[in-house]
Amino acid sequence: MKFLKIMGEYLGGIEFSAGYRWQHWIRAISIFALVATGFYLANPFITFANPSPTPTRFLHAEIREWHIIFGFAMIGAVLYKTIYFFFFKEAKYERESIKDAFNIKLAIQQIMYYMLIAKHPHTRGIYNPLQFWAYTMLYVFFYGIIITGLALYAEVYHAGLGGMLYPFAKAVESFFGGLAYVRLWHHIFMWAIIIVVFIHIYMAVYNAVFGKNGGMDAIFSGMKWEKEE
Amino acid sequence: MKDALMEKMRKRIEELRKLPGVSNKSIKEVLEENGISRRDFLKWAGALAVTLGLPASFAPVVAEAAEVSDRLPVVWLHLAECTGCSESLIRTDAPSIDDLIFNYINLQYHDTLMAAAGWQAEENYEEALKKFAGRFILCVEGGVPTKDGGEYLTIGPEAETGLEKLKRTAAKAAAVIAVGTCSSFGGIQAAYPNPTGTVGISKVLNKPVINVPGCPPSAKNIVGTIVYRILYGALPPVDNLNRPKWAYGLRIHDLCERRGHFDAGEFVEEFGDAGAMNGFCLYKVGCKGPYTFNNCSRERFNQHTSWPVQAGHGCIGCSEPDFWDAMAPYEEPLADHKFMSVNADATADKVGVTILTLAGVAIVAHAAISAIKPPKE
Ligand code: HEM
Ligand code: SF4
Ligand code: SF4
Repeated sequence: MKFLKIMGEYLGGIEFSAGYRWQHWIRAISIFALVATGFYLANPFITFANPSPTPTRFLHAEIREWHIIFGFAMIGAVLYKTIYFFFFKEAKYERESIKDAFNIKLAIQQIMYYMLIAKHPHTRGIYNPLQFWAYTMLYVFFYGIIITGLALYAEVYHAGLGGMLYPFAKAVESFFGGLAYVRLWHHIFMWAIIIVVFIHIYMAVYNAVFGKNGGMDAIFSGMKWEKEE
Repeated sequence: MKDALMEKMRKRIEELRKLPGVSNKSIKEVLEENGISRRDFLKWAGALAVTLGLPASFAPVVAEAAEVSDRLPVVWLHLAECTGCSESLIRTDAPSIDDLIFNYINLQYHDTLMAAAGWQAEENYEEALKKFAGRFILCVEGGVPTKDGGEYLTIGPEAETGLEKLKRTAAKAAAVIAVGTCSSFGGIQAAYPNPTGTVGISKVLNKPVINVPGCPPSAKNIVGTIVYRILYGALPPVDNLNRPKWAYGLRIHDLCERRGHFDAGEFVEEFGDAGAMNGFCLYKVGCKGPYTFNNCSRERFNQHTSWPVQAGHGCIGCSEPDFWDAMAPYEEPLADHKFMSVNADATADKVGVTILTLAGVAIVAHAAISAIKPPKE
């Protein structure tokens, strides 16, 4: 890949900038927190059989609060990454992947690689075609869950930001056919994200084990290494 | 500003007062016969004024508007429905002021309430359309079947389709009010698989329709909308689904008396348990209040006596579009919503876990094979 320079015996370079790595991990932690709190909001499994008729411990409200805090953290990370992809200079090799994405031969070779019958193809960008489309879908799900999440937020909190978002929430409700469907889709998007993340983690580990190029390390350190050829 | 508004309203009421009323009794007499004092009536008027977003000082004007409500001609059409909306208004044993005013309005035509039948009824109908053209309010109860030209609903000796009758009547109406969920959004006949292609009336009309959904809607929401029309000479501001904001602006959940328990994480686990006795939140036994816009939690039913959630059953979302399908199952949280699938009770969670399991099995197999026969570098 072009951004790699000779560094000792290896070709090395910054694959992921600091901002990139931050947004990745903020996003990752938020998703785990949002899934955990989201399951609770959908069907509160911890409840108090508190005999007092006046509520005292606001467990559901607290969990909703954390859900929303991580929700906004995730919104920040997703927006950063979207802007990064389209406009940042460092994202040049990400954008290069768009060209690979429509290369059917490359996609087929990538599938053959996963089926263990062909070599890993050489790509121009940093994502192979399968990866590119999986991530594109992931962002569709992210924006789906963010849009439905913000609509739910505006219906729970009517003042401040919620008030500003209220007309937007109403438009989202009209689009989905009512608030119940907004909530159902929020739940469905969650599952779509869980499944993509599950496979993503496997692929990342797989590449770390078999790719032997520090691919997994890069998301921590930012550095990518390749043997000189 | 306030005075100018009141002046305008008074003028409108004066104009209506000049029109002939249908009732041979004044509203005062009707209320008295039913044991409702002038004081109660003014209290009601004050409350309605506030509900409609007016200062309480408008109570006398609202009372006057109610008094002339028998001047405003109303034509009431029944399409595909169960007549439950009308029944709920007329069958109560202790009619509220809203119910009484509903009975008092100038109903020119109402299939189930009018004395006329057969050809005479038909004639009355055509008469009313002619006499009050451009002036009457059209209230529609029931959805409108549209499949095969609407022939799943035909009315009268000429077998006119509901679709035609609706369009023809609406064209002459000064305003159209959809009473109930069926005429607002299609209701039960529009539930899956909707064999008659029923839709809410706004889908087939090209004039504004005010939706007053509910199954049945509360009398206050119907009468309030009519009184609003008398006071302002226009229909009320509406939300994204054309429901009057003064009635449907907030969710059931926003004003529910059990909301504290919701936030506290205190839920009824099954009907009749200790939580139920303590008045805990009904979310886990299927309350759809968080997705439903209506004012039941504030206005209640039967002279403000009670409402479903107070009685111990969750809201089933009866004023929302598509609620028979969207809100099912009614006694489980929304997350247990069943999707159409090979497996008739597939919830999002079940489908998700199934896909995740398949992915997991595939991953384990792939990892195992890769360990034996590593990928080509
Ligand atoms: C990976 C991201 C997310 C996941 C997995 C997730 C998951 C969930 C789930 C499962 C529910 C319950 C839905 C149900 O009843 O079936 C929920 C509710 C909710 N979510 Fe999210 N969510 C995510 C992102 C967001 C975002 C970005 C926001 C926006 C701030 C948000 C705001 C809300 C709100 C306000 C509720 C409703 C809480 C209530 O009614 O008390 N969520 N979420
Ligand atoms: S009973 Fe229903 S409307 Fe009331 S707080 Fe609970 S979920 Fe909300
Ligand atoms: S509480 Fe819910 S289901 Fe019951 S009448 Fe009101 S909106 Fe309809």
